[in-house]
Amino acid sequence: MMTKSDKRKIYPITYISLILFFAFFLLPVLWILYASFKTGSNITNGKLFSLGGFTLENYKTIVQMGNFLQYSLNSLIIAISVTILSLFVGIIGGYSLSRYEIKAKNIWISVMFIAQMFPGVLLIIPLYNLMLNYHLVNTIIGIVIAQSTLTIPFAMWLLKGYFDGVPRSLDEAAMLDGASILKTLWSIIIPVSVPGIAIAAFYSFVVSWGNYLMVSVLVQSNSTATLPIALYRLSSSLTLQWGNIAAATVFVVLPTVVLFAIVQRWLVSGLLGGAVKQ
Amino acid sequence: MRVYKGYLMILIAFGIMALLIFFPLVMGINLSFTNRNLLYPTTQYVGFNNYISLLSDGEFWVAFLHSGILVFAAVAMEYILGILLALSLKQSVPGIHFFRSVVMITWVIPIVATVIMWQFMSQPGYGFINMILSSIGLKNYATYFFGSMTFAFPMIVILHLWRNVPFFGIAFLAAMQAIPDELYEAASIDGASKWQKFKHITLPGIKYTGLIMITIHVIWTFNQFSMIYIATGGGPVNVTDVLPTYLYRQVWSNYNIGYGASIGVVMLLILLAFFVIFNKTYGRETS
Repeated sequence: MMTKSDKRKIYPITYISLILFFAFFLLPVLWILYASFKTGSNITNGKLFSLGGFTLENYKTIVQMGNFLQYSLNSLIIAISVTILSLFVGIIGGYSLSRYEIKAKNIWISVMFIAQMFPGVLLIIPLYNLMLNYHLVNTIIGIVIAQSTLTIPFAMWLLKGYFDGVPRSLDEAAMLDGASILKTLWSIIIPVSVPGIAIAAFYSFVVSWGNYLMVSVLVQSNSTATLPIALYRLSSSLTLQWGNIAAATVFVVLPTVVLFAIVQRWLVSGLLGGAVKQ
Repeated sequence: MRVYKGYLMILIAFGIMALLIFFPLVMGINLSFTNRNLLYPTTQYVGFNNYISLLSDGEFWVAFLHSGILVFAAVAMEYILGILLALSLKQSVPGIHFFRSVVMITWVIPIVATVIMWQFMSQPGYGFINMILSSIGLKNYATYFFGSMTFAFPMIVILHLWRNVPFFGIAFLAAMQAIPDELYEAASIDGASKWQKFKHITLPGIKYTGLIMITIHVIWTFNQFSMIYIATGGGPVNVTDVLPTYLYRQVWSNYNIGYGASIGVVMLLILLAFFVIFNKTYGRETS
């Protein structure tokens, strides 16, 4: 919070720094949004602002482009599955680490923390070998498993931190009433932990939706390709159609922005849990 | 009874983690002691040979150096710019709530899209940055920055800043707002200057949040593969090559699976060593 004297004096430097920061953060987004509504020749004419030449053609081309809807559906199915799996493991793991006086608790917690350090580029090597044996390469299930290795540890860490902040008296009251652990978790703890759970879900979804590493190895045909793969192919083709690339980029970004708008108010408390409380 | 059920839940959660994460990790470590290569029919244990080869592998050391510089430069600048952003967002100017709400948007945008946006901004001739440079008379500097030996690495740092500074800013803002007003009031009564208040109240107040942010961002930046791979592929030549991109190339272009795995194990050891030291140095001060 600000003291009263700070509140009255707002220096010009505040405005300057805010303008600089927001130009830096928002310009690339606004610029590609602007380009997505312009015709190709209007994008590459080298003029900062040109009147006219606005069109929806880029979006039409993208939607009609072979398989784009298939990629979107794949991305959606994979991201939702990764989110559900991460939440399941994160909630039961995070809750038990938060509540139970189990032996060697610090070791479990360290293991959970260390799991976040495992480089994805290392994990995908043995995962690929394993999946080759079980015929999971180039399948949706294989991709879900590989991406979950990236999201589960952080989801569990977030949720443990969040559950730590939920008063134990809530659990104890429910237990005294004879509720089972699962019932306590489902009807008491989960409802009061919506911000933490929403952020863990959001994190898992966004990581999966944008993931490139795992799919670049596991996807070997159009039937399992996801949007990041399609977008990368489009942007690295020999003839750059910037209008189409811009529209496709906006298309891929849009769902994450919509979700962000929904969970935005919980982002800080959910992500940092106890880290901002004194 | 309750403890028994607690174990059951932990076993389910860690059982899934073990199957999906730890078992593959052990297999990966195991592979790092073999000469497995998709182009050879047989695989043999070669002891520490891969690790010994790394010691004399010039490309590995270049990637190692780049990784170190990238993590240090990006995280240090994110920390400082994050504090500046938090201080700016703390002021009650009109529209500030809107700014606070939208700023973290950079963090949620898929990395492929982030890279494309900046590649678009950097196009020679019609990219925003180059059009601005031309219009202020710096046309000679206009170039495709990701393809430039000089600017490619700074561009990779800028991509990291763009993505992560808002997260630092919002986290520091929350930490600053949690500092009790009375501390500042008491300091004012004692005649403390703005700078003294910042140094002795604000900075210590956000330190714990800062340590958490440094911890997770060192991990994320050190392991970051997609951003660099998509932006430059490690090039031009190898000026932006880092350990993850070098590993990826060894495994998925040269099919040197065993060798690539040994690079991954070294990466993990470096991170572990960093956190043991980091925790010993800063962990106790704040807990």
